[in-house]
Amino acid sequence: MVGPADTYSYMIAGYVVIFGVILAYLGSLVVRWRSLQREKTMLEQIEEKDMGTDH
Amino acid sequence: MEKKPVLLTVLDVLTAAVFILASGMVFLYAPMEAVMGWVQKVFYFHVSAGWVGMLGFLVAAVAGIAYLRSKHQKWDDVGVAGVEIGLIFMLINIITGAIWARPIWNTWWTWDPRLTTATIMELVYAAYLMLRSGIDDSEKRARFGAIYAIIGFASVPLTFASIRLFRTIHPVVIGSSDPSAVGAFDMSARMSQTFFFSLFAFSILFADLLWHRIRLSKLEEQVDQLKMELYQ
Amino acid sequence: MAEFKSLLKAIQAVVWKDLIAEWRSREMISSMLVFALLVIIIFNFALELSIATRENVTAGVLWVTFTFAGTLGLNRSMAVEKDRGCLDGLLLAPVDRSAIYFGKMTSNFFFILFVAAIVLPVYSILYNINLIRFDLILVILLGAFGYVSIGTLLASMAVQARTRDILLPVLLFPVVIPLVIAAVKASAGYLQGFEAAEIQPWINIILVFDVIFTAIAFMVFDYVVEE
Repeated sequence: MVGPADTYSYMIAGYVVIFGVILAYLGSLVVRWRSLQREKTMLEQIEEKDMGTDH
Repeated sequence: MEKKPVLLTVLDVLTAAVFILASGMVFLYAPMEAVMGWVQKVFYFHVSAGWVGMLGFLVAAVAGIAYLRSKHQKWDDVGVAGVEIGLIFMLINIITGAIWARPIWNTWWTWDPRLTTATIMELVYAAYLMLRSGIDDSEKRARFGAIYAIIGFASVPLTFASIRLFRTIHPVVIGSSDPSAVGAFDMSARMSQTFFFSLFAFSILFADLLWHRIRLSKLEEQVDQLKMELYQ
Repeated sequence: MAEFKSLLKAIQAVVWKDLIAEWRSREMISSMLVFALLVIIIFNFALELSIATRENVTAGVLWVTFTFAGTLGLNRSMAVEKDRGCLDGLLLAPVDRSAIYFGKMTSNFFFILFVAAIVLPVYSILYNINLIRFDLILVILLGAFGYVSIGTLLASMAVQARTRDILLPVLLFPVVIPLVIAAVKASAGYLQGFEAAEIQPWINIILVFDVIFTAIAFMVFDYVVEE
């Protein structure tokens, strides 16, 4: 019996891709969320100031 | 933004747990394949990623139909999320497909009908994002996105059929007369269980990511709304 | 029945308008033609169309030419409507929206056929291979029909985006791949004298594509032009 081929490094490469891409996507979701939250709080602050000076 | 729903946190935990379990099954429970060795273990998540890719595109097509009929913004959010997640996982499918092919066929690309169709789909949905980014009006963007999501998905069966037919006539890799077998192997019972559980785990992951991505869209809409109010 | 007749008249009006407008300026047709002929000449140097390989490669060269020249025509045809505000005029007319779609599709169909009618004889002369044959023309008719059915719809969307010129090929080509593969294989099959049974599956794919995408485009066109 010859035994299975030595394809260990290919498997590692495969799993690096799988976990890497998933984590990268999760990361992008987190980054986008935070930047939108910051923008939102900033805009809300401006709106409050606007209301204050208008009335 | 309303507080993060408890159900979503539950889903997050469930996703992580199921995913860890699936990974454990792949490395510790499923047996080693006799011919291909370690690289065969990529197969479980490779197919599951492809499954999620298709799922994402299907969700986008259905959401597209729903949007055209109801004009509710939420369907557009679902569609975008479906396409984005579909793109990511289809990419994983394509790259792991090449990684799997390399030691077995001694070539990175075999023009296998499934992988080739996956690549074309990837291009279709990249085009979807390009279409959206070229339109400034949000209602038109949603409408056109919906239409293209439907058209893109409708093209998949014919694309697959035509490439498959082409390949039965032109086998690219010497020795492969069956165009559908990129490294075919028989699955033992443990392998089947690992395989189906991986599909399940990835499906849960899809639902989790979809929900999170939809929330992101809603936050984006709130920000746009604020901008409109302030800079009227 | 009366409704159907008025629909036909509306389609005919749109087609006639396009044909006459194009005849007067001949801008689109001339650029499509020049482009197609240039592509064929470039292919001669790029692919070394020696006598031996010619038969294998002719079908592919033809369909690449049609595909690319076709995008030029589609882009132009819809851009003209938008830029001159003709589309708004058409939409105001008391006629079913589908008449606009079928009208544009038909005129685009004629423009591509016109290009094919010039390209086939020129190619035949340049490369000494007879392309004026009924079976090949049939494939071109069926293929062009599917191409313009989905192409007109996608062009009507692409033309409304900022990135309009590059967007149409990006949207169209991935979706039209099964049609192009089938058209090339069917054309090559006829040119190389394969048996009808071998070619039939490819013709079937073209027919299915034509039916499915014409139906989808027809159902969805309203949503593209609604305001």
